[in-house]
Parts: sequence; structure tokens; C-alpha cells
Amino acid sequence: MSMKNKQPKTKVKLGKLEKREARAGYFFIAPWLLGVVLFLLYPLAQSFYYMWFNIRITPLGTKFNFVGTGNFTQIWLENPEFPQQLVTYIWQTIVEVPIIVVFALIIAIMLNGKIKMRGFFRLIFFLPVIIVSGPVMNMLVSEGAASIPALNVQSVVSAFDTFLPRSVAESVGEMFSNMIMVLWYSGVQILIFLSALQKVDPSLYEAAKIDGGSNWECFWKITLPTIKPMIMLNAVYSVIFLSGNEQNELINMIEAAMFSGTKEKGYGYASAMAWMYAIVITLIVGLFFLLLGSKKDVYDRQVKKAQRAQKKERRLQKKIQRRGKRNARNIESKLKSNKYRTHESSDNY
Amino acid sequence: MKKSMKKLILVCILIVGVLAMALTGCNKKNEKGASGNVDENGVTTDEITLTFWHYEDETTINMLAEKFMSMYPNIKVECRVIEDMSTDLSAAAAAGTFPDVFEGTDSDTALANQYWADISEYWNADPENKNLMATVNEYGIGCFDTSKRFAAPMVYWPSAVFIDRNVIEKLNLEMPRTDWTWDEMIQLIKDATVDDRSGMKYYGLGYYNRLDSLYGIAACSSEERAIKGEFGFNGTDFDLSYWAIGEQQFSDLKLAGYVAPQQNTQAMEDWSGDWGTWFGATGHVAVFSEGFWSYQNLWGTEGYQETYGLDIVPYVTPNVVDEKEHNVISTMYMGGVSTSCKYPYEAYLLLKFMGWGIDGWKARLEIYSDNTITNASGVPLKNSSMPMPLTLDEEVWNGYKALFPTDEDHASYWSDYFASVTRPVPYGWYSIAGYWNFCDQYFNSIGIHDLVDNGTAKAADYTEEATEQANYYHAEAMLSYFGPNGYNVLSDEEIAQYEAVVNSFGK
Repeated sequence: MSMKNKQPKTKVKLGKLEKREARAGYFFIAPWLLGVVLFLLYPLAQSFYYMWFNIRITPLGTKFNFVGTGNFTQIWLENPEFPQQLVTYIWQTIVEVPIIVVFALIIAIMLNGKIKMRGFFRLIFFLPVIIVSGPVMNMLVSEGAASIPALNVQSVVSAFDTFLPRSVAESVGEMFSNMIMVLWYSGVQILIFLSALQKVDPSLYEAAKIDGGSNWECFWKITLPTIKPMIMLNAVYSVIFLSGNEQNELINMIEAAMFSGTKEKGYGYASAMAWMYAIVITLIVGLFFLLLGSKKDVYDRQVKKAQRAQKKERRLQKKIQRRGKRNARNIESKLKSNKYRTHESSDNY
Repeated sequence: MKKSMKKLILVCILIVGVLAMALTGCNKKNEKGASGNVDENGVTTDEITLTFWHYEDETTINMLAEKFMSMYPNIKVECRVIEDMSTDLSAAAAAGTFPDVFEGTDSDTALANQYWADISEYWNADPENKNLMATVNEYGIGCFDTSKRFAAPMVYWPSAVFIDRNVIEKLNLEMPRTDWTWDEMIQLIKDATVDDRSGMKYYGLGYYNRLDSLYGIAACSSEERAIKGEFGFNGTDFDLSYWAIGEQQFSDLKLAGYVAPQQNTQAMEDWSGDWGTWFGATGHVAVFSEGFWSYQNLWGTEGYQETYGLDIVPYVTPNVVDEKEHNVISTMYMGGVSTSCKYPYEAYLLLKFMGWGIDGWKARLEIYSDNTITNASGVPLKNSSMPMPLTLDEEVWNGYKALFPTDEDHASYWSDYFASVTRPVPYGWYSIAGYWNFCDQYFNSIGIHDLVDNGTAKAADYTEEATEQANYYHAEAMLSYFGPNGYNVLSDEEIAQYEAVVNSFGK
């Protein structure tokens, strides 16, 4: 096995064209970088700093009073609504996300088929995304447009109550009472699935059909594995959307705490709430990542295995070489100091 | 190279110098504006702008601002309606655009953030303030139990009990005397609840204000300790045993079916056939514990009572003890001059004009008496939550009374009512430090009203615990708002007293 010799790193000077391209690259990502620094990293760091303080914004200036973990204690011990809402949010998100994703997938498959007025139906399903901005959604919800009138939510809760804890049953019931709204949240996900479905190579379906595969089999063996990364993408998108929209009680609670004038609340208290909420969201995203994260197929696994074996072999070779060199050095040094003894009468050795 | 360096240094020095001069100039200009030149009344003669944020009818306040500006031509007033006090004011404070004068509905927010400046000097020197309804000065409404005045009552709506005379007549009952007592009211509510199963049931009471809120103040007699706030607040501590009696009585009335269903409930649909009906428009409720504005905004509008077959007259919220003169609980927005205001005296004049001042009220009466002036919704301004004067000025009151029914049949009811509401006591969140925290973190969070209303608990069970909680939240707020880290206006004895309450809490 040939050994790679260590090459000294050489600095390659960029040419004019490459420099120009690099500049153009930086120029194009500059707005994004600026946005991230100004509207993500800076507020993130600021809220992290704020959460250790009681902050009062007076007309004469802002007063910071260090309270350590006081805001967290206050939230958990004196605000019973926050933990309650947090539990409700966790259950609702875990239940609603699969519903949204499955619904979006079904609709996307239907819209990808050869149906009349396909463009019109695609528009219809995407329309809620455009019209359901904050105030419009609030008005629709207040008018009862988010629920199905014929659906008896109480009986749904009673049914679930028999085998689920009360809080979980209520969360599920809440989800049923907002069923239409949940389905309205699927517009973007439908679009993502639609684009993924259109990327599936038709020759795969043709081959499967020739081999006698049914539509059902094609869906499970071709469609689903191909669009699997998009399922995770949509699940994460749904989690983030459900966690940050205007209908979310926790978001409203954090906003109310932020602008609350009472002496306990304010920016510091709201920052503490927001950080705890952010950790919970991250955990939920992590959960969906674990459940839906793409696992490598058999071929990929074998390639990896072979690569690992090769790496191991190279390490062994290096080790043997190093040992050989070391032994040679030892013999040489002993020879120099005449400590190396061979058989004296070794003429015939 | 050296020459260019010298040039660069010179340019830098010049820029710094120009900037420094410009900044110093700006500063001096501001300073001159703040101290400024004044006329013989102490009002600035400089051209200034004051901002006034409020909760009232926008058209009314804009017209009042015009009148104020005609009195003080060098002062420009810019008004804005507050949508949400906490959000709007904290955003304004953060942005450095805080109003010079504002009226608020939640005093805790204003005190916790030191929005209001001390206006004692101006208030005490103003002779007009001696001729206000007695409790304003007697109870120090706006002083928050300190020796300083941080706010003044701006908008006053007394609580009121209205009676539908048509219902009383239909049920062959007697109209009560106008200086009735609490027990007489309860008896009327019971007598007027009639369900003969042949038609729509008659209810004795329809409520906006819960009776327990009214009872706490109504239970105060002149011989007893002076209750100057909700939940039996006497200026330093609470006694919720007063509230508990009212709460239980109200709950018992509800459970026994004497109280009409609320709007947008299944019970209302079952009773009236329409989910959205308001009990005040059914003609089947005898007594109403309503806001004062309900008369002006609804019952008092043209054709309303004729349409629904009503004949509404006002009664004072009755006292428990049969006394002619007694306190009445009231909605009372508090207003103040902000701590960042550069022209506090001029701001005080604006505050007074918009609130309790005689000149302001004369201007208001001109506006209210002209039915052709309407707001953006097309409603005459007197029908848009018109408040009641706090001044006792006779001229103002004559003009004010003329805005209400003056016919022989109704005038005496209104006259008696106005005579009986001269000792207002504001609801807790306007006048008691820490009241909102107590409600938010204890009273409402455990849902006492619901527990008592649905019969699962007795109000008396909470008396001791709730009293201790209320005292704690009040003492904690007093220390926080007015102690060394706040306005710093408490004496050492007061601090020790409040600290003792806080330290003993929960032990």
C-alpha cells in the first residue's frame, strides 16, 4: 500500500477573476449576514443578558436590577399559567405536526395527479398562506371559522379521557376544535411536497409498473423513500410555524409579559420565558429529527464500512513503519556506543 | 507624508470642535426651553408642544385640546388614544417618545415604572382643587397613601343601579325610595324574579358590576373605620371580610336563579332565544348593576327605550347602613404629568383642563350640549361615555344636569342620583398600590369568583388567606414604588411598617 507523503501547504494567490467572484459572493450574502447579526445574534445575546435582570423602562431611562435566577423562580412559582400552557403546547405540537404533514402529503399527491383545473386547486390550497396573516386569522378564529360546527369537541375529549391523561385529552380536544385552522397551516408544506414529488424520476415508476408494481406499492417503495428528507423538513417547518404564530398562547404570553408594566414582569421576565420556550422548541425539533432523520441505505453503510476498514489499515501500516524506524534508530545508536554485541566468534554466523 | 498627517489631524480636530459646539448649542437650546420665559401666571411664553395620551373619545379630546390651545396660543397639544396602557407606554419609554401627560387605567404600571412625576406643589397651590368631591382630598385619591401626589382623578363614572320602571309596574311592585339600603335592593331583586312558566322569565338582577365589588364600599358606615378602597382597604391594610359577605350574597343570588344570563351564552339563548341578546334590552329585568355609561351610550340614546319597551331610572348604589351621605365605588381614570416632561407646570394645566378643571368642564359642556357634533362613529359626543364632573362648581353642575332627562317624571330620580354620588371611591386598580399584582397573582389565578359562584367554595373560607395576601402585595408594592429604590418618599417608620408585613408573610 502506497503511503501518502505529507505535502507542505502552499498558498495559492487568487487570480483577479477569483477575487472578483469572492467579492461578489460576499456582497450577495452580506444582507443575510447583516440580518443574522442584527436581527438574530444581537437580540439573542441581548435577551440572554436580559433574563438575569429585572428591567424597568422609565421615561428617564432603563433601570437594570440583577436578580440572577429570580425571573425563572418567579415564572415557575408564581405564574401557574406558563407551565400549564407549556404542557398544552408540547402535546398539541406533537399531535398536530403529524396531522399537518400527512394532510399536506395527501393533498400534494392529489394535486400532482392528472386532474382537471389542477392549477386552480393548487391556488386554493395555497391561498390560506397568503390571506391568513395575523389580524385576518384572529378575526376568523373569533368568528368561529377555525372549528367544524358539527364536531362535538366535548365528546371527543370524553372519548380520549378514558385512556389518556386529562391534560393530554384536552390538548387533543383543543386540536379538534381548531381542526380547520390546523389544515390551513398546510399550504407551504403542500408546496414543498409538490416540488419533491415532481422531482421523482418517472422512469422508476415505469420500471416498477413493468415489474407489476401497484400504485400502492409504488407509493411505499418509490415515492415515500424519495421524498423522505422533505417529510423531516416539513415537520421542522410545522413545529417552527406552530411555535411562533399569533395564535400561540405562549407567544402572546411572552409578548404580554414583555410589555407588562408590573414590577415583576418586563423585558427580563419575558426573556427568561422566551429562553425556556426556545429550549422546549429545540427539544421538540430534536425529537422529530430523531424520528424522521434519514438513515443511510445498505450500500451507503457498506461504503462507510469499507472506508473505515481502509482507514484502520492505513493506521496499522503507519504504526508498523514507525516501529521499524524506531528499532533501526535504536540499533544504530547502540552500534555507535559499541553496546551492540553480536556473537564474537561469528565468522561462521 | 508629514504634511498629509498634519492635515488629517487638523481636519479631525475641526470636526470634533464643530460637533462639540453643535451639541453644546443643542443642549443650551433645550435648557432655555425648559426653564424658559414665563408670564405673570408662571406659564411659559415659549412656543412649546405637549403630548396628551388618553382613553376617552378621540373627537371630544381633540376638541378640548383645540380649546386649550386657544387659551394658551403658544402651547401646541398633540393627542393620542391609548390602545393598551402597558404596551403603548413601555414602547414609548423605550423609544424616548413618552407623552408629557397621560391618563391611565392601571396605576400599578405607572408607579412601578415611575411614569408619574410628583405634582403636589401644583395641586396644593391651586385653590380650585379645594372645591372637588370630598373624597378626592379626604382620601388622597392619586396620592397612593403617601404624602405626595403623583396623579389626579381625571375621568369619573360612579357606579349606578338602574331600575326599569316598566318591569316594576308589570309585576305590581312598588318603586323603592331613592335613598334605599342594600337590603331593600336585595329584596327587590328577589321580588322581581318571577317565572310563571307562561312566558319569558323576569329576572331581578342583570349585572355588569358584580355585587361583591359594590358591597365592599357599601358596607362602610361613617361610624365604622373609613374604607377608602376595595376589599376593605383602609389606607394601610385590607380586610376581606366585607368582600366575603357581598361575594357570598351575590353567589347565592346567582345560584338561586335571581340573576339574568349574560350575553353570548347558552343560558341567554335558552332564555331569550338569541345568543347575542343583552339583558338590558329584554324588558324582563328589573334591577341593573351597570356602568354609568350604559345609560348615555345605550338607554339614553334616541328611541332605544321606546324600541325595547323600557323606562330606565338611576338609583345610587345603596349603602348597608341607612345613611343619606355615603361612599360609592367608581370607575376613575387617573392622570399625571410624566417624569420626563420638560414643562411640568404647563403639563399640569393641561392635565387639569382635560380632567377636573372648571374651564375644561365648561368647554366639555359646550361640546356635549351640541348634538350635531358627532364622533367618527356618528354618535353625539354626550352619548360616547361622557364622564361626570369631579368639581362641585354650581355652574358646571347646572349645565351637566341639563344633559339628562328633565321631564317631571324622571328629573327627580336624576336629581337624587346626582346628589348621592358625591363621595366617590375608585376601584382598587386605580388607587391602591399592588392591587393589580394581588388580583393577577392570587385572587384571579385561583379563580375565587368561579369557585364561589358555582357553589364549590364559600367566600368566607378565603377571608383570612386573601387578607394576608392582599396586605403582602400592597406592602411589597409600597416599598418597591415609594421606597428608596422607587420615588423614595416613605418615612423610616412607614418603611419599617411595610417591611414587617412583607417579612411576616407566610410565617
